[in-house]
Amino acid sequence: MNTSFNWKIAGAAGEGIKKAGLIFAKTCFKHGLSVHGYTEYPSLIRGGHNTFQIHASAEDVFSPQFKLDILVGIHEKATQYHQSEITPETITLSSDNLPLMKLVKQVKAHPKMKNMAALGASVFLLGLSLDTLKQTLAEVFAKKGQPVVQANHQVAQAGYDFASQNFKTQAKPAIPAKTKTDHHLFLTGNQALSYGAIAGGLKLYVAYPMTPATSILHTLAAKAKAANIIVRHAEDEIGTVNMAIGAGFAGVRSMVGTSGGGFSLMTEGLGLSGITETPLVIVNAMRPGPASGMPTWSSQGDLLYAIHASQDEFPRLVLTPGDPQECFQLAKLAQNLAEKYQLPVIILTDKYLGESYFTINKPTAQHQNQRYGLINTQDLNSDQPFKRYQDTDTGVSPRPLPGQPNGVHLCNSYEHDELGYATEDSSQRIKQVNKRAKKTAHILKDPDFVNPQLYGPKTADQTLISWGSNKGVILQALKQLKNTNFIHFPIVWPFPTAQFQTLTKTAKKLITLECNSTGQLNQLIRQQTGLTIKDQLLKYDGRPFFPQELQELVEKLS
Amino acid sequence: MKRTTQIQPTWCPGCGNFGILGAIKQSLDKLNLQPHQLTVVYDVGCSGNMADFIYSYGFHGLHGRTLPVAAGIKLANHQLPVIAIIGDGGCYGEGLSHFVSLARGNHHILVITHNNYLYSLTTGQMSPTSQKGTKTPSTPSGSIEEPFNPLASAIINHATFVARGFAGDIPHLASLIEQGLNHQGFALLDVLQPCITYNKNMTYQWYRQHIYDLQKQNHNSGDKKTALAKALETDKLPVGIFLQKKKPAYHQQIPGFPDTALAQQDISSIDISSLL
Repeated sequence: MNTSFNWKIAGAAGEGIKKAGLIFAKTCFKHGLSVHGYTEYPSLIRGGHNTFQIHASAEDVFSPQFKLDILVGIHEKATQYHQSEITPETITLSSDNLPLMKLVKQVKAHPKMKNMAALGASVFLLGLSLDTLKQTLAEVFAKKGQPVVQANHQVAQAGYDFASQNFKTQAKPAIPAKTKTDHHLFLTGNQALSYGAIAGGLKLYVAYPMTPATSILHTLAAKAKAANIIVRHAEDEIGTVNMAIGAGFAGVRSMVGTSGGGFSLMTEGLGLSGITETPLVIVNAMRPGPASGMPTWSSQGDLLYAIHASQDEFPRLVLTPGDPQECFQLAKLAQNLAEKYQLPVIILTDKYLGESYFTINKPTAQHQNQRYGLINTQDLNSDQPFKRYQDTDTGVSPRPLPGQPNGVHLCNSYEHDELGYATEDSSQRIKQVNKRAKKTAHILKDPDFVNPQLYGPKTADQTLISWGSNKGVILQALKQLKNTNFIHFPIVWPFPTAQFQTLTKTAKKLITLECNSTGQLNQLIRQQTGLTIKDQLLKYDGRPFFPQELQELVEKLS
Repeated sequence: MKRTTQIQPTWCPGCGNFGILGAIKQSLDKLNLQPHQLTVVYDVGCSGNMADFIYSYGFHGLHGRTLPVAAGIKLANHQLPVIAIIGDGGCYGEGLSHFVSLARGNHHILVITHNNYLYSLTTGQMSPTSQKGTKTPSTPSGSIEEPFNPLASAIINHATFVARGFAGDIPHLASLIEQGLNHQGFALLDVLQPCITYNKNMTYQWYRQHIYDLQKQNHNSGDKKTALAKALETDKLPVGIFLQKKKPAYHQQIPGFPDTALAQQDISSIDISSLL
């Protein structure tokens, strides 16, 4: 029995493709399915070609599938563009067999509601409930008033009725529902990351819009009042990162978000956080580069850059969440570790993870946070400058916050002595470099550090190794791949050498998998462990791997 | 009150920065602000080297990026007075976008720009305020650009306190700093600062001959057009308050901005259920 389906709607930008896709995805989610939603669109407001595709199943789904069960083509060329995704079993809905405009006219609705007729027809073909679609429409269009909701209902009904008369033999049996929607969320990686940051005590988010990080700004701005946080759309990425550092110095948990280009502008600020030892969280939602690159597509090309960005050397963390669950968890952790170790934490996501929709378990409501490194005013009793950069065992020095009596000190972007005053003295320089560097060893031993994790059987003939957003695709492919397991890195830097070596000690054949052209994790593994992994799968066309594609590539290697 | 550290200033003898430091000390004394009750953010340059000399909470940032750091501190702790110490290169060149944006937003910070019409720490190249034709090591045939007008720019970009002082008149400058610190919003105090090492044309004496006090001329500092006309004067340089307007500061315009400073908000237990 069929337990999943892959559905795609394709049309021109400005035709409401994403909106229609999302409505259908929410309908599937409401129906009780595990749903994944993936969208492709050009960097345009009108014209071009947009798609939204849904992989839905009674079992957990983690990624899109390439081959389609239903393709809804809203414009003429849609089916032509997607030839390679069509199989003999694919049902293609287009103006040839589904007269959307005629159906809209029948019920005297606005032409822009035509996509809802396609959704009605799809509901019929997939054995979903029309009432669930109508319920979703009522929620989505609630703000536009009852007449708009009603008109959309009528169009959806017309599409459903048309399909029930014309496509009766093609209808698929209904998939039984399993997911309990009140325990699950249907959301994007960017949304999950935003909520995780709030759970971690975020108080100030500063950003300049840049795809694909922009929806973090939108999400946090929309929730700012309810979450009691401040969100500022700043003048540029340089102002953004410096403002967040100022707030961090004054004791506020702050975050900035951008993509590679904006991250490049922030790199001097990154070093400022490093040398002043000011907590800072930077989200880099990657897209293909360099420079403007391919704004609305996905990439994992910035891993080594994130590890090395800014001049000279200082400790930092590079977190690489693999799914929205980890986006939430690691965004919260980032806030805590940035403060605990007084350094910059970079969260690397990408367009695929940030803008795709996933079904995840609802995170718990209550979140506890500890404050780190701060000092009680009663413990401050000198009118001499406070030793902000006192050398300690862990490299982390306590810090009073501006306004605290007797805590007066200077934070300095120049190399400085323990008091924070500028110095060019040889021994002071060495002392401060070493002090900062000490943090790395302690981070790796921190109980909250998230080590690489093994998925699948404990022993296998081949082991896939990856980081970031490939996690879902690989987990999906593991369902088909024989004798294969998978090591995922949720944190790539500092490099967790010990745990990685434990996991790979008995592995037979290792294969790295990344969405960049030179195998950056592969290089890093060699650099950090001396281990050369000769098999690697790379993709760098802006698209994620698809499970079947991955399966075929892996099988070709063996 | 202890105002300075034990580190001796490294400025050239006779540098205008000594006068500005003296005026800052006087104004802080007058306002009875204790060292922990304010934060000073410093840019990179001769002016920024003041970071080592003032005894207060301080942050010595990147060249040109002092203003966003200052505004970030203010958002984090709006009860704290925040001063930005910056030069003409950092404020009107490298960091101009921040200057314009934060003025437009009326962020509550006092910006003291040490304007010596040159880049002095990097050995005397032209700055955004240098007169056209200024010959310097980077412009041996004379600079081509027309000078940037800081006061006029601040006025048209909605700064709510715009003033100019002179490093050679400490009591007057101290009074401007005091008024700037009392102002609730974006305050620009551009300070005419002689650089005795690299700017041989604009000496203390030259400035004394070229400045006049606006407040002795019945200037209406509540009127934007008059302020702009005064800011456009270049033959003689007016000093004093050009413009002062009452308007809520940036943080006061954020809906639901908390009374308790962001930095002091309790984050020990956060309930996210209403967000999901």
